[in-house]
Amino acid sequence: MRQKTSVLDKVFVASNYTFFIFMGVITIFPFLNLIAKSLSSEAAVISGQVNLLPVDLQFGTYVYVMSDKLFQSAFINSIIVTVVGTLLSLIMTSLSAYPLSKPKLRGRKIFILMFVFTMLFSGGLIPTYLLIRELGLVNTLPVLFLPGMISVFNMLVIKSYFENIPEALEESAKIDGASNIRTLFQVVLPLSLPVLATIALFYAVAFWNDFFTAMIYINSPDLKPLQLYLKELLASANNIFLKLDTIDVNMAMNVSPQAIQSASIIVATIPILLVYPFLQKYFVKGVMLGSVKG
Amino acid sequence: MTPSYFKRLRLDVVREWDLYLMLIPGILFLLLFKYTPMYGIVIAFKDFNIYDGLAASPWVGMEHFEKLFLSEDFARVFKNTLIISIYKIFFLFPLPIILAVLMNEIKNMVFKRGIQTIVYLPHFLSWVIVSGLFLQLLSTNGGLINKMIVGLGGESIAFFMNTEVFRSVLISSAGWKEVGWGMIIYLASIATIDPQLYEAAKIDGASRFRQIWHITLPGLVPIIILMFILRLGNILEAGTEQILVMYNSIVYEVADVIGTYVYRIGLGQQDYSFSTAVGLFDSVIGFILIITGNYLSRKFLKRGIW
Repeated sequence: MRQKTSVLDKVFVASNYTFFIFMGVITIFPFLNLIAKSLSSEAAVISGQVNLLPVDLQFGTYVYVMSDKLFQSAFINSIIVTVVGTLLSLIMTSLSAYPLSKPKLRGRKIFILMFVFTMLFSGGLIPTYLLIRELGLVNTLPVLFLPGMISVFNMLVIKSYFENIPEALEESAKIDGASNIRTLFQVVLPLSLPVLATIALFYAVAFWNDFFTAMIYINSPDLKPLQLYLKELLASANNIFLKLDTIDVNMAMNVSPQAIQSASIIVATIPILLVYPFLQKYFVKGVMLGSVKG
Repeated sequence: MTPSYFKRLRLDVVREWDLYLMLIPGILFLLLFKYTPMYGIVIAFKDFNIYDGLAASPWVGMEHFEKLFLSEDFARVFKNTLIISIYKIFFLFPLPIILAVLMNEIKNMVFKRGIQTIVYLPHFLSWVIVSGLFLQLLSTNGGLINKMIVGLGGESIAFFMNTEVFRSVLISSAGWKEVGWGMIIYLASIATIDPQLYEAAKIDGASRFRQIWHITLPGLVPIIILMFILRLGNILEAGTEQILVMYNSIVYEVADVIGTYVYRIGLGQQDYSFSTAVGLFDSVIGFILIITGNYLSRKFLKRGIW
């Protein structure tokens, strides 16, 4: 009987490993396909020869994509929005989280309810659009980060982290006569670097990936962020060459629309890949903080 | 005699003035960007005209809601929302649980970390990028999947233009993006199960299957219920952003959901009042569902959602 179970266990373990290898392959496979297309010649892509490895290796597509003026401005816009948005969000979110982490703050429950209620109910798309219009924010870069400055979920995560900082550490600063604001910046925030890093990455990824806000509020081509630029590029498969504003028309000779789309997607993914190792270090912690706490 | 509430409040505000000062930017942000639009909902009960402005537009009572409940478009959109959502729950809710349980049985840490690194990645990509990946993969012009189908003797399928398969495209791409990431919460929950239980089971000669069945799964039940309640609370969110990127007019019939409909009618056709009414209907149902979910969670799991 013992013998039989352990054979069964071995089969289980082996198939389990196989299964996860398979899952890993499925995850990577679309990327390989895309990279291969972006590096292949026009003829190879159009005749559908490209699978997981480039055919007729060439890098012209990347040169072509990156020399498009609208691509350049979209990339820069996304960087600006992500950097400014993340910094502003971190400051705004910490400033709200700190007072709300103090049990002695009178009116705390009402303030927290004000925040949480916005997670449960919202005015919806159109009233928000009309407000943004009224504020004159349509077709401006700040519209891409101002309405998203505070994510209540992130605020609650930071708040619960602040709550777990030993009171004694803050008290000693207070005895030395520091104000609450100084205590926050000189004692509490330096002790909270892990959670701040997590939340910063969450915000940064959210700003970088957001296309919806831009789709609603931005129409001038030079203000579009990368994701919106990409979305429109994907939708215009056939007249892609009319859309791209590249310096050299001759360069289009050896690139296919599919390769252009593929290369653009890869270039837009690279920034995420660059922060991914840091993300990975922190995000598990972040998810735990948000959920286990409840 | 204790001083009155307001007297104490005033004392506190004076003593801890800078705590309140810190709150001001956050509260202003909420009032401006969250609560002002809630006030803007009144246009659902008006015949809003952008030139007259909010105050001058005439009241029409429930007219837009009557139109909504009689509208065939809305019935179709509502149905699509529920169908896509229910498919997603049916196929994609159990998967992360199964995967987490299986992942827990992987004892080689290097392998485990490696696979986790790979399968968490798609969660951090935007829908635009995921859509681009699938467009290439499913293309009729040299897409890998269609090449396989043809290779196996089938006929190539225009996945993005076919009303019969488009929903499957939505569900599988959502699965590709989020299933790996979905494991995290269950893996964390498994990690809190007492290792002694497994030790004891091994001594008793319990197979891996028995350990999973009698220890891992029962340990996961509370978190599964909680996640399920949360998921049901979101049933009207079928994936607006995903669909907005992936769909086109040919598949509106099967893929237009409440979120995309509000976008098209509101911003496309500038029917502000009617689309606000649709949005309000959506928000109210969502609100009721989530409040009910929280109530059930408190009652049965002794823990609230927030």
